[in-house]
Amino acid sequence: MTDPTNIDRRRQRVLDHAAGAWSASSRYAAVLILLVSIFVVLSLTQENFFTRPNLENLLTSVSILFVVSIGMTFVVLTAGIDLSVGSTLALMGILLSHLLNDFGLPAWLAVLGTLVAGALLGGMVNGVLIGKVGLSFFVVTLGTLSLYQGVVNIWSGTETTYITSSLIDWFGFGKVIGIPAPIWIMVATYVIAFSVLRWTYFGRDVYAVGGNIEAARLSGINVARTLIFVYAISGLAAALGGVIQAGRLGAASPLVGTSIPLDAAAAVLLGGTSFLGGVGGVTGTAVGVLFIGTLQNGLSIAGVSSFWQQVVTGVILIVAVAIDRLQQNPSGRRLRRFGRGTRSRAGVDGRE
Amino acid sequence: MTGSPDTAPLLLAEGMHKRYGGVHALRGARLSVRPAEVHALMGENGSGKSTMLRILSGQLQPDAGSISFAGRPTSFRTPTDALRQGIATVTQETTLAPDLSIAENIFLGHRMARRAGLVDWETTRTRARAAIERLGLDLDPSLPVRRLRPDRKQMVEIARALSIDARVLILDEPTSSLTDDEVESLFNVVRTLRDDGVSTIFVSHRLDEVFELADRISVLRDGHSVGESTTAELSRTSLIHMMVGRALEEETKAEGDRASTTTHPRPVLRVRGLTAPGMFAGVDLDVGAGEIVGLAGLVGAGRSELLETIFGLRSPSEGTVEVDGDGRTLRSPRHAIRNRIGFVPADRKTEGLVLGMSVRENLVMATTSRVPRLAYPRPAREAAIVNDAMTSLRIRAHSPGVPVSTLSGGNQQKVVLAKWLASGPKVLMLDEPTRGVDVGAKAEIYRLLVAVARDGVGVLISSSETPELCLLCDRIAVMFRGRIVAWLSREDATEARIAHIAGGHQ
Repeated sequence: MTDPTNIDRRRQRVLDHAAGAWSASSRYAAVLILLVSIFVVLSLTQENFFTRPNLENLLTSVSILFVVSIGMTFVVLTAGIDLSVGSTLALMGILLSHLLNDFGLPAWLAVLGTLVAGALLGGMVNGVLIGKVGLSFFVVTLGTLSLYQGVVNIWSGTETTYITSSLIDWFGFGKVIGIPAPIWIMVATYVIAFSVLRWTYFGRDVYAVGGNIEAARLSGINVARTLIFVYAISGLAAALGGVIQAGRLGAASPLVGTSIPLDAAAAVLLGGTSFLGGVGGVTGTAVGVLFIGTLQNGLSIAGVSSFWQQVVTGVILIVAVAIDRLQQNPSGRRLRRFGRGTRSRAGVDGRE
Repeated sequence: MTGSPDTAPLLLAEGMHKRYGGVHALRGARLSVRPAEVHALMGENGSGKSTMLRILSGQLQPDAGSISFAGRPTSFRTPTDALRQGIATVTQETTLAPDLSIAENIFLGHRMARRAGLVDWETTRTRARAAIERLGLDLDPSLPVRRLRPDRKQMVEIARALSIDARVLILDEPTSSLTDDEVESLFNVVRTLRDDGVSTIFVSHRLDEVFELADRISVLRDGHSVGESTTAELSRTSLIHMMVGRALEEETKAEGDRASTTTHPRPVLRVRGLTAPGMFAGVDLDVGAGEIVGLAGLVGAGRSELLETIFGLRSPSEGTVEVDGDGRTLRSPRHAIRNRIGFVPADRKTEGLVLGMSVRENLVMATTSRVPRLAYPRPAREAAIVNDAMTSLRIRAHSPGVPVSTLSGGNQQKVVLAKWLASGPKVLMLDEPTRGVDVGAKAEIYRLLVAVARDGVGVLISSSETPELCLLCDRIAVMFRGRIVAWLSREDATEARIAHIAGGHQ
């Protein structure tokens, strides 16, 4: 006979897990349902929507936003935001073109160098200033947003540099088992980010720092290092986005990335990650990005102006966050007015 | 049971029910407050006190039940509504704007005197002064609130409440951060108000205060009303009995449990000449293995800052800290933890726990600072720590996977303690270890600390609650304005003596 307490314990664990998974998904359930509905409606009404070329096109077109948003999720989980991801992305594209054209590095080394540079830029500038020096994330990343954009324009002379490299092309248009490379990169990014958040102590540190930075520090968590790594991850993701961008354009352009920071922030928040930190995860972000991408794609197939996509995304973002707040805490509005947060509602459940 | 049944209640809440999801917080509870009385609402954490107060202050709506105020049935839809009807609440955390003046805070919310559409400062100040004087205080209404003592801040909140002609004042644990003198001045204000015809609903975990101040007492347990009585008719024992529902020694008789400590235990913590300008100076302190040392003194005497400095949160300008004969400056909490110091901070919600994370994750948090960050948290290792903690400390939680925010205050505090015990400390420092914890959990925490010391850990407790220091400690250091001004042995330490020295009298 099996020990009954053991069974109970196992059953409890399964129940806990199920409950956790359910309430984690409930943070982005509304957006997920909307995503599925739009998908179904578009499939039924637009004959060109549910076709392989279009779905590939949809996914490749959101791949850059996807990768950057996954990186941004780490930052938002620590109750921050990285506004500099767009100009980092542009800067890394320019760097890549220089490494290839001026320094004549082999393509693989240039890509590697670009990724390392993105991580260093994020970690050593944003991360150190925020985590170590203790400056506000908003001020720092707003500053680096402008700073990097300036460097991009100076360094490139506001001109587009063409890149001819089969490896860089691969990042934009390559295929593996018939599926475009950017889609593979998205999937890989998601899997790695999910695993790190869920199955490592670092992932736990991220939630702890976002949930209660003082308690995290007093428990011996290296808060500064955690923040430095989080911004490094964001910088790395932006650099990867820059490489894909360069591949898709076949060039390094100083004009790319300007709308990325706010789109990424919108995707992260749509995906249920709380901007107060400590709650959320990359699965929600994936849903958020796919939602924005599907809307964009569907409306353009239907011949609606892309400006409407912006309007709809904005409305849905606000509505989704409002629904979430009302669901979790009906009196949230009132508490807010009295100057208190509604943080305590955040459960373990709102996690990967 | 009540004294004069002919007095009609001013505020009467009957048959109150409130559910939060699966939790039935109030089950037909009742509260009856008469005009011009101080009414203590008692109960352990989780008994439904806070829920009742939140309903009366308009922050929550009951699922069932009726409220009448001044003889008329009513309900409080929002805090503003409650305030307008004459019920004002002063909570534990002050809700003042620290950089505004006393007068501005009192009349916050567009209620300052106006002339031609502009603020009439002179009249506003005069009115503010009148409001303060009503409390028997003399303060300059143009002072910014930031510069006031904690008790004075509370007075400003009370003055604000009264400026709206409140007839019932709700004080939710108003004394938890006040010194004895400050508590006395607050009580005088409450008594003055009572003589003016204002009733006060008062919540405190300190029984002494309740017996000193309250005219009548209502007790809640598990959401039911289990008693209502005049204070004179109740003894401490019968009150505690009503609150916990079983006879319980109010405090562990630690004396019996503890072997008298050896005269000179090997010091595990040795502090010499520790100085942090503006906070404390020249602190010498030894804690022996298995010894419990107390740190007494007023709030602001430098106790918390001292503990934080030993723990590496602040850097000292001079002095040394040695752990187990190994002298080094502790640069950070991480470093302190590696040197096997544990620190239970005063405020578990803002410093002790990550409320949104699970009981399990909080329990193992202080044990993982040496683990590589990309390592996988092994469930077996964690389960061992968690099982051990949950059984030996009797932490009541549905499962280790639930967020720690769903636990009651006493159980949360046990999680903080367990988290540090799991890190295997040689020295355990605690700042206000029983603040906001009910009597039952308090006794358990005392028992636990005694057991921890018996295992050879050096324990250093800083507390404003002198009785618990007298009960637990082998030696007590009394701090006054950043210096240790006296050491008292267990035999010499009495509450009166400590209060005397802590107040600056030698």
